[in-house]
Amino acid sequence: MRMVNFRVPYNSGRLIFVLVVILLLGLLLLPGQFQGVFKQIGGPVGWVLSWPLRAVASLSDGVANLWGGYVALQGVVAENRELRKELDSLKGQNSQLREAAAATERLAALLEFKHHAGFSTVAAQVIGRDTGNWYRTIILDKGESAGLRPDMGVITPAGVVGRIVKTTAATSVVLLATDPNNAIASLVQRTRDEGIVEGTTQGLVRLKYIPMLSDARPGDRVVTSGLVGGFPRGLAIGTIARIDKEEGVLFQSAELIPEVDVDLVEEVLVIESPNVQTEGERLDAPSVKRKP
Amino acid sequence: MRVLVWSALIVGLVPLQSVLLPHASVWGVTPDIGLIAVCLAGLFGGEIHGLLVGLVLGWAMSLFSAADPVTCVTTKGAVGFVAGLAGRHVVYLSPPILALGIFVTSCSAGLLTASLLKLNDQQGLWWAIRTVVLPQAAMDTVVGSAFYWLASSRFNLERWMAEYRM
Repeated sequence: MRMVNFRVPYNSGRLIFVLVVILLLGLLLLPGQFQGVFKQIGGPVGWVLSWPLRAVASLSDGVANLWGGYVALQGVVAENRELRKELDSLKGQNSQLREAAAATERLAALLEFKHHAGFSTVAAQVIGRDTGNWYRTIILDKGESAGLRPDMGVITPAGVVGRIVKTTAATSVVLLATDPNNAIASLVQRTRDEGIVEGTTQGLVRLKYIPMLSDARPGDRVVTSGLVGGFPRGLAIGTIARIDKEEGVLFQSAELIPEVDVDLVEEVLVIESPNVQTEGERLDAPSVKRKP
Repeated sequence: MRVLVWSALIVGLVPLQSVLLPHASVWGVTPDIGLIAVCLAGLFGGEIHGLLVGLVLGWAMSLFSAADPVTCVTTKGAVGFVAGLAGRHVVYLSPPILALGIFVTSCSAGLLTASLLKLNDQQGLWWAIRTVVLPQAAMDTVVGSAFYWLASSRFNLERWMAEYRM
């Protein structure tokens, strides 16, 4: 059998060691400049690494589809019968909803709902998870070349997923809303009390700094307040499951059930520009005339 | 040629860790294949190889993580260097010694990471040990030992290491 010799010549080994020590000293003494250099190099390297990442992700999807389509078919006959019953019931509901939708359309036109909170988004696919165990993140298949930048908000039609914290040319890392290091400005939709939503170590989310006199209660929905960048106002975050009031503290806190199951999310929308409207713009109030 | 082999290993390990291993996580914790690879690279290739592979792999993996790149680079580089030193000084590497070595190295790397990362108030040191450091070290030990057992039953690793130490 042919053996591989991994020995490094004495001089080149010492040279490499000295270079690495200089690199580490540079990282410790000049972290900003060195990280800038690494970020520059990281763009193309990330692009190169994204190709095998995508290839393995698509292979993984293929295997999952094969499993779901052909292997995991136990109990499909009974499920089919139930689904047919459900389909008949839904057909009935569908015709009623069409009537309701037509009525809503007419009413909407009458009430002249002109302004909607519009914002531009980029669709992206989840291709991986964090390479470590310290943060809850997902990796998206789009990066700087698609216009994505750190601090952009990430959502699904159901609600908030998280925030981009790192980008390469072809990928982005999204810190999930359930991570304890994430914080999103939010408000209770019914009472309009503002607070900060943070993740918990149990994988849930928690609304902090609710005023002590707030009437918030379990079942209330919590949405983004739009005060800090990334998210426009009104995107769903979760529903209050429990209110915690402790004696001697100035604020209440609430445990939320997240609106989006971040473990199952596969496609997301990245908010390019939140286009946050002021209260006046939202309510179509006349603008204040400024003195010349 | 050697650089190509190491580069291919690094390029292969990143998608393995990021895409496939999350499907095999236990209570949300996955083994750190990068750390195991760096350990074995240091053990068989020496401290310089361990250090270099650790630095490059740490940086490559930090591109796909929210963790600070300096922390990842420092931790993996240190692991590779220490594994290289250990490999040079251990006379006979039995599987239990290897398992113990991987466990201790993984625990040390986990504690170093916990102290370097700016963790949230909820994530104290005890939380880190209980939920990340110890479970990950256990999984790293199992995966690393299994890999070593498979490799040693297929190749003559002792002779390879003996040649290296000559």
